[in-house]
Amino acid sequence: MLVTVMKLSLILITLAMLGFIYRLIKGPTIPDRIVALDAIGINLIAMIAILSMLFKTNAFLDVILLLGILSFIGTTAFSKFLEKGEIIENDRDR
Amino acid sequence: MTVIVELVIILFLLFGVFLTLAAAFGVIRLPDVYTRNHAASKSATLGVMSILLACFLYFYLIEGHFSSRVLLGIAFIFITAPVGGHLISRAAYNAGVKLWDKSVRDDLKNKK
Amino acid sequence: MAFQILLNFFLAFLWMFLQVSINSKTFIIGYLIGLILIYGMRRFFKTELYVRRVFAIIYLTLLFFKELIMANIDVLKVILKPKLDIQPGIFALPTELKSDWEITLLANLITLTPGTLVIDVSDDQKILYVHAIDVPDVQDAINGIKESFEKAIMEVSR
Repeated sequence: MLVTVMKLSLILITLAMLGFIYRLIKGPTIPDRIVALDAIGINLIAMIAILSMLFKTNAFLDVILLLGILSFIGTTAFSKFLEKGEIIENDRDR
Repeated sequence: MTVIVELVIILFLLFGVFLTLAAAFGVIRLPDVYTRNHAASKSATLGVMSILLACFLYFYLIEGHFSSRVLLGIAFIFITAPVGGHLISRAAYNAGVKLWDKSVRDDLKNKK
Repeated sequence: MAFQILLNFFLAFLWMFLQVSINSKTFIIGYLIGLILIYGMRRFFKTELYVRRVFAIIYLTLLFFKELIMANIDVLKVILKPKLDIQPGIFALPTELKSDWEITLLANLITLTPGTLVIDVSDDQKILYVHAIDVPDVQDAINGIKESFEKAIMEVSR
């Protein structure tokens, strides 16, 4: 029962990810694409949580934290680049 | 006892997956960046939170392994999700992305 | 406030040493007894009891989860409605909060509840610009945020 539901939810999350990928490719503006990328990163976290339940191992749980950090840094870097044209500002007297 | 625990886990999982699907649907359907961001942030907060909670309950109650990393992951997502959403929408506004045609008001236009 | 917490810890450790049992159960009992003592002597402190602030933080967390679930249901309704008749818009939210971390907390809480999203803060930190997915009545939305979140944050920080 539990295994069936886990497999079903993996399939459904993949479907949701396909929707985000559609927005990532189509998206009329660049911020649209960043929103889609951010959501894909968050969904990967959910996917790995379900996978680690399915495999009955807690070896993947580090990956959850790591992916969260990476997707946050990616979003921050993209939006700073979009706003100012550079990611790390050299002059801080704003 | 095990049946009840499994039922609770299944409930959390299905709720999270439903929210994720609704978020994907909203990201496809809604008209501009700002409204899409609302839909995406919903998936980030409650959807992933309930899936991670199901993962935590599974490892704690069935495998008997208290995994504090999952709880840390939930807290981390809670802290970073609003910051990311705010940064994206501010970058979009400053880059000149227009609001949807049917938006009712725009107070930020009068700021400068 | 920090002094009271330190005093409470000191009393708990004192209780532990008096009982000659160094474990967490004795520590919790000692902490509670110290709390009762501090409550009894609350008139001798210049600042008020820190327990009230702890309750305010707990209340803020509960309020936030309630708002989170309600707002999720609202956004879900908007998305799944067959006809797309929403009225999105950016409204200005005047805030009475002063210090930096209060405004950060308020902005984070507003952004975490789906349906509202802080886009910018004015330079004098008096106005938050909030994008909402459906604002039929602006005054209603402003009052909703001011009544719930701002009040609760003021309870914590005052």
